[in-house]
Formats: sequence, structure tokens, C-alpha cells
Amino acid sequence: MNTHFSLPALLLVGCASTFPAPTQHLADAESAQRSARELGAANQPTAQLHLKLADEQMVLAKKEMANGDNRSADFMLGRAKADSELAVALARELNASVEVKRAVETSETTAATNAIQGAVK
Amino acid sequence: MRTLRTCSALAIFTTLAGCATAAVPPELVSARSAYDRAASGPTARLDPADLLTAKETLDRAEKSLADNADAQETKDIAYTAERRVEIAESRARTLVETQQKDSVTAQMNASQTATVRSTSAALGRANQQLASQGQELQTSEQRRADAEKRAAQATADLERIGSVKQEARGMVITLSGSVLFASAQWELLPEAQVKLGDVAKALTERDPDSRMVVEGHTDSQGTPAFNIDLSQKRADAVRTYLVSRGIAGDRITAQGFGLARPIADNGSAEGRANNRRVEIVVQPSAK
Repeated sequence: MNTHFSLPALLLVGCASTFPAPTQHLADAESAQRSARELGAANQPTAQLHLKLADEQMVLAKKEMANGDNRSADFMLGRAKADSELAVALARELNASVEVKRAVETSETTAATNAIQGAVK
Repeated sequence: MRTLRTCSALAIFTTLAGCATAAVPPELVSARSAYDRAASGPTARLDPADLLTAKETLDRAEKSLADNADAQETKDIAYTAERRVEIAESRARTLVETQQKDSVTAQMNASQTATVRSTSAALGRANQQLASQGQELQTSEQRRADAEKRAAQATADLERIGSVKQEARGMVITLSGSVLFASAQWELLPEAQVKLGDVAKALTERDPDSRMVVEGHTDSQGTPAFNIDLSQKRADAVRTYLVSRGIAGDRITAQGFGLARPIADNGSAEGRANNRRVEIVVQPSAK
């Protein structure tokens, strides 16, 4: 009986070890991280949190790859990439919000300037 | 035979694993909740593409759970699905912000354009008004120049028929009696009328509000009474003519002084000729 159950288990381990190293997904996740940093994600608290989570997941994924656990590393890289992309989205959202405020201020300043200079309305 | 036995064992293992009821991991519970929230909110309308990606990821997590795959894998996929939902929500909010910014900018631009148009139109009107005023000014200047020219011409005409002097009592235009009247007469000679016409025109143009006194003077020949009468009639004749040529009657008076105010020696013919005269004293208006 022991022989019957240990063999499939060995086969499963063998299948796991044949999972290719997720180098492309690693590159994608790193690229997403860079984009997030370039967009100023580190300046927005929520985006910063997701960037930190992505950093930790990247470290973990690389450790798993080093241990030959490529499949787990691949899932971990999926998490890291998603967190980095969320950081990107949040950074862009913040930038858009700043631009709205700036546009409103510009509009108000322009209206005030026109009033001071006596422009005909 | 060995291969068959191995495959059978693998099938049994897989079936046993599949039959076990896997607990739903908290990551999946959270991802389902996040998706439901986004799908029922504005994200569904604003960013359906990213929400679909999130749904597909969530479906993978559900399948992973149903297949009783590795629990950690289900957690990882569910975690990713929740992030995908949050990405869709963030992008939807960004879209709203962008639309708001575009709206504010468009309104500002429209307002600026309207202001520029209005100001430009007002400027155009002001320029037109300025040009019109400039034209009026030019016309006025032209009229003034013309009037000065006519006045200068009139003065020159006056100087041809008499002398013009500025005295304390005003401008004194002295006309020779022999130019205006025949001897001992008080009717204006035809040539004198023409000349007095020029005088009237000049006096009107110079100062329409000035007051005038026409003074008649004679030489010493004849009786004082005769000379007073003659000089008064001559002064009246000149006044009447000037009034007939447009000078208001209430601006002009006439007075005969006879021989009382000679300006030259009555002992010589030349002196007497100079004393026979009519003087028009023009007193400027108070303005």
C-alpha cells in the first residue's frame, strides 16, 4: 500500500519541478514596479502600501524560484504584478485629482484676472 | 502493467482529493465582495474592460477552489482578482477626474473665448468712436483753420479800405469818409457797401458776441450842429448796413461826434481828410 501512494506523490513532485522558470512574468512584474515608482506611487499612501506589498512578493517569488518552486513563484509574481499595477492606477488617479484642482484654480484665477482688468463679459 | 497501476493510483488520489470539500479562503470571500461592489457601482459603466478582466480572474479563483487545487494557488488567484477589481475602480475614478478636468478647462476656454470676443467687439466700437471723434476733431480743426483764414482775409480786406488798431477801448477800424460817402452826404457809396460787406463778414467771424459802436466824425468845416447831424447820419447809415449784413442790431450802436474828436490838424487839406472818418470800435465779448 505504501508503494501505491508514494509513487503518485513522487510523480506530482516531478511534475512541479518541470514547471518552467517564470522569467517573463518576473520581467513583467519588475516593469510594473518601475512604472509605479516613476509615476510617484511612493508619494501616495495607498499606492505606497501596494508598492511595498509588491516588493515583498517579488522577494518571495525570487526565493521560490531559487528553490526550484517555479509554480508558486509564478502565482506570487501574479500578485506582485497586480499590486504594482494597482499602485500605478492609484498614482494616476492622484495625478488626475491634482490636475482637476489645478484646472479649477486656473479657471478661478483667470476669471478674477478678467474681472480686475475690466474685460467685457 | 506497472504504468497502468501507477495511473490507477493517480486517478484514485485525484478523485479523493476532488471529493474533499475545500473551505473558501478569506481572499476569495474578499474578492467576491469587491467584485460585487464594483459590478453594482459606476465602475461597471466607466471601465467595463478592466472589470471583465477582474471577473475572469475571479472565475479562475472559483474554478481553482472547485477543482480543489492547491489552496495557496486559490488564495493567490483570489488576491490577484481583488487587486484587478481595485484597479478597475481606480481607473474609473481617474476617468471621472479626467472628464471633470476637461469640463472645467472647456468651460474656462469657452468663457475666455466669449470674453475675448466681447472685449474685441467693445474695442472695435471704441476704435470706431475714436475714429469718429478724430474725424469730428479734424473737421472742427478744418473749420477753425478756415475761419482763421477767412478772418485773416477779412482783416487784410479791412486794411485795404481802412486802418485797424488795437486801443484800450477795443479794436478800432477807421474808414475814410471819402471812401464811404460823397461830400456832405450820408448815403453809402456802392463801392463802400461792398467793402462794408467784407467788414461785416470779418466782424461776424472774428467774434460773433462782440459789441460794436459806430462813431461818425467830421472835419471842422461847417457848423458844429451840421457836423453833429452829418456824423450821426453817417454812423447810422453804416450801422444800418452792417445790421442788414447779419450783425445783430442789439450788438451795435451808432453815435455822431461831429468835429469834436479830430485826429489830425484841420488846418491842412490832408488833416481834414483824415478827420472825416467813421470808426467802428469793436469791444470783445466777455468770454
